[in-house]
Amino acid sequence: CSRIHNKPTFSQTIVLQNLYINPQNSAKSADGSHLANVSDEEMQEHYDNFFEDVFVEAEDKYGEVEEMNVCDNLGDHLVGNVYIKFRTEDMAAQAVQDLNNRWFGGRPIYAELSPVTDFREACCR
Amino acid sequence: FKKSRRRKPSLYWDVPPPGFEHITPMQYKAMQAAGQIPATLVP
Repeated sequence: CSRIHNKPTFSQTIVLQNLYINPQNSAKSADGSHLANVSDEEMQEHYDNFFEDVFVEAEDKYGEVEEMNVCDNLGDHLVGNVYIKFRTEDMAAQAVQDLNNRWFGGRPIYAELSPVTDFREACCR
Repeated sequence: FKKSRRRKPSLYWDVPPPGFEHITPMQYKAMQAAGQIPATLVP
């Protein structure tokens, strides 16, 4: 990946950078004991809660969500990225503007428009 | 079809970092960019 990500002026899709903190990533211990602390079931539940929380809030506040994806790639510019595709560009623009002025889980949100329109075609080169 | 609504209060939305409740997220990010706060999570 060249890390040269062209940022579009208009898009239906927004990216919230590093929004999802994977419990199996966030508390690393040298002896690997952190892996035993979080079971796969707990991981799934944590993720499901996160997904629903973000999805419901996005639909309630900014408009109809067509698709939402959470990035599981460990690249530091990708990890935990949340991509939300709205029905219209206006919804996406409004969401980016508002989200950049909100906190999420003790951190500021980094929101911007994303060029991704088809998640099956999306590839970071 | 009933549209899904939040089951419970959010654990995440609008939760500021401890000690930074008095500033805005924009101010926080500006302070990170200026090196006044460790910028561990800046993309």
